[in-house]
Amino acid sequence: MTDPRLSEPQIAVSPGMARVRALLIGVGAAGLALGAVVLFVLQSPMAILGVVAWLLGAIILHDAVLSPIVLGVSVLARRAGRKVSRTVLLIIQGAVIVGAILTLLVVPEIYAKTLGPAPTVLPFDYVLRLALMWLALIVVTAAVCAVYLRRARRRQANGMPVS
Amino acid sequence: MQQQPVRRLLLNMQRAVAAPTRNPRLAVVLGRLLATAFLICFATGLYSHFLQQPLPWMRFPTWPANLYQVTQGIHITAGIACFPLIFGKLYTVFPNLFQTPPVTGLKGLLERGSIALFVGASLVEIVIGLLNTYQFYPWPFGFRETHFALSFVIIGSLAIHIGVKLPIIATYWRKRDGYAPTLVQTAEELSLVDAPLIDAVPPVLQGAPGVRQAAGLTGRLLRWIDSTPSLDEGAPAVVAPAEVALAVVALAEAAPVEPAPVEAAPVETDGIDPDLRSLEPEPRPRASASRRAFLITIGASAAAVVLLTAGQSFAFLRPFNVFAPREKGIGPNQLPINRTAAAAQVTKTAVDPNWVLTVSNGSRSQTFSRASLLALPQTTVDLPISCVEGWSQMATWTGVRLQSLVAMVGASPDSALRLMSLEKEGGYRVTQMGSEYVSDPTTLVALTLNGETLDIDHGFPARMIAPGRPGVLQTKWLSSLEVTS
Repeated sequence: MTDPRLSEPQIAVSPGMARVRALLIGVGAAGLALGAVVLFVLQSPMAILGVVAWLLGAIILHDAVLSPIVLGVSVLARRAGRKVSRTVLLIIQGAVIVGAILTLLVVPEIYAKTLGPAPTVLPFDYVLRLALMWLALIVVTAAVCAVYLRRARRRQANGMPVS
Repeated sequence: MQQQPVRRLLLNMQRAVAAPTRNPRLAVVLGRLLATAFLICFATGLYSHFLQQPLPWMRFPTWPANLYQVTQGIHITAGIACFPLIFGKLYTVFPNLFQTPPVTGLKGLLERGSIALFVGASLVEIVIGLLNTYQFYPWPFGFRETHFALSFVIIGSLAIHIGVKLPIIATYWRKRDGYAPTLVQTAEELSLVDAPLIDAVPPVLQGAPGVRQAAGLTGRLLRWIDSTPSLDEGAPAVVAPAEVALAVVALAEAAPVEPAPVEAAPVETDGIDPDLRSLEPEPRPRASASRRAFLITIGASAAAVVLLTAGQSFAFLRPFNVFAPREKGIGPNQLPINRTAAAAQVTKTAVDPNWVLTVSNGSRSQTFSRASLLALPQTTVDLPISCVEGWSQMATWTGVRLQSLVAMVGASPDSALRLMSLEKEGGYRVTQMGSEYVSDPTTLVALTLNGETLDIDHGFPARMIAPGRPGVLQTKWLSSLEVTS
């Protein structure tokens, strides 16, 4: 197969670049080896197996669970995108992503708080705060969409292009 | 041609996930930010590591006193910012997951393997780092050891990744060089993608109701998506994948041997964005709006996670602390606690009226009750408690200068010490203190905190407080100080 691969156009590598490349790969390989040695020195074989399981788990979770969900949602959004204004859809998509990432960080906090940490560790009511965050996000998103749509209508009325 | 189901599936997936926001230029943009965050985390993490486990020759600055507060606050905050950045980065390169053939030779295997390791190690590193700040440890390995070891794996993989991708990084470093095609598939690949799902329905079945030749998977999917009329003015009514495919085939026919140079040539001869030449289904303004929206979204996510958590580390962001696992100014003596007296099993020994602090230098030693420590000249200093978990807080401490205690057993001010706590167990029950901290005039055996008697959870009857050190080394419930050199 000599076909050009997706997003990897064939680019000429100058001799200088080739040297930098070799250096980076050499340094990188040394870093990998050092990491492996440190892990083997500091951790028991069972713990190392645990690390390997977590590494594999992270890849599987991302590639086989998270990415397909994102893909599915974006396919649906693309269909919905033909019914609502595209910019509005982009704004909503952005808001959902911001909210989802915050949720991803806060959900483990909610669980960890149930394990009974010291009183000043995880001091907030994270469930309530997460709910309020989503509420605020919805309000802000709706406001931004409303402002955009109003401006778009005005531009249209003035015969200006809608961007 | 129909006998390549895996290749066909991969090509279909490439087509399905192609988007204007998934291209090398955006991968470079996010990659730069993520690499910067990783390097910041690596440098501040190494600093924190060696503060806690110094090599024999190492000495550390005691000024500015809040140096560790800043470096570790940056470590945790940059680590949190890595979440949106890494998700964004992985999003831009998602189509690469479906490259076909999946592996070409040993070099390709090593390259894909190193990327898998890079992604896995990065995700595990930031997740366990985050959960550590929640004091939540749902894994079967040591946190500190693994977080330390994986940091080398990540920086090593990063160097390899930059090395491997160097030509792409160089090509798309500047915006004016364009975004690269969203999707590059050869005519042969496209025909495979659009081929019927079932080659030929057996003649006996052809007459049955509902049986028909199914079209390509992606084609059907995209047709379903795009069958809803668009609302946006100026948008093309329906961009049927078939038209796109035909156009790409036509292009490929124009350069049947090697379509790549047509796609890759970064020269702009007509002022048209290079991505237009890839005949992507998205018209230019739309693709540009998608890219803008994508970058704004990642930027907003990074801003949100930083703004809503960094108040635990940086006082000026305290009003915005919504989700951090710590809050400044709460707890006894208006200072948060990581490890309570109960957790350290000192609730009895710390309030024992017979408690004394033993200071020893070889055979010479002296003991001090809390009353006798309070009778010595007192010094008041403002020093932060800066936790390795990222939170920190400035506080006012009063107590006896460590220098003077050491002098009382005949040791020089630049001695190093071994500190022991009343704690029953734990990695920081016995710790070492370098001479740079012993000789610093602001290092105290503290007896009061923020004008009140030291709370038992803050180390009553006496604790160490020194400038620029991690909180775990500010030994609470002191029992003895031993001059080691």
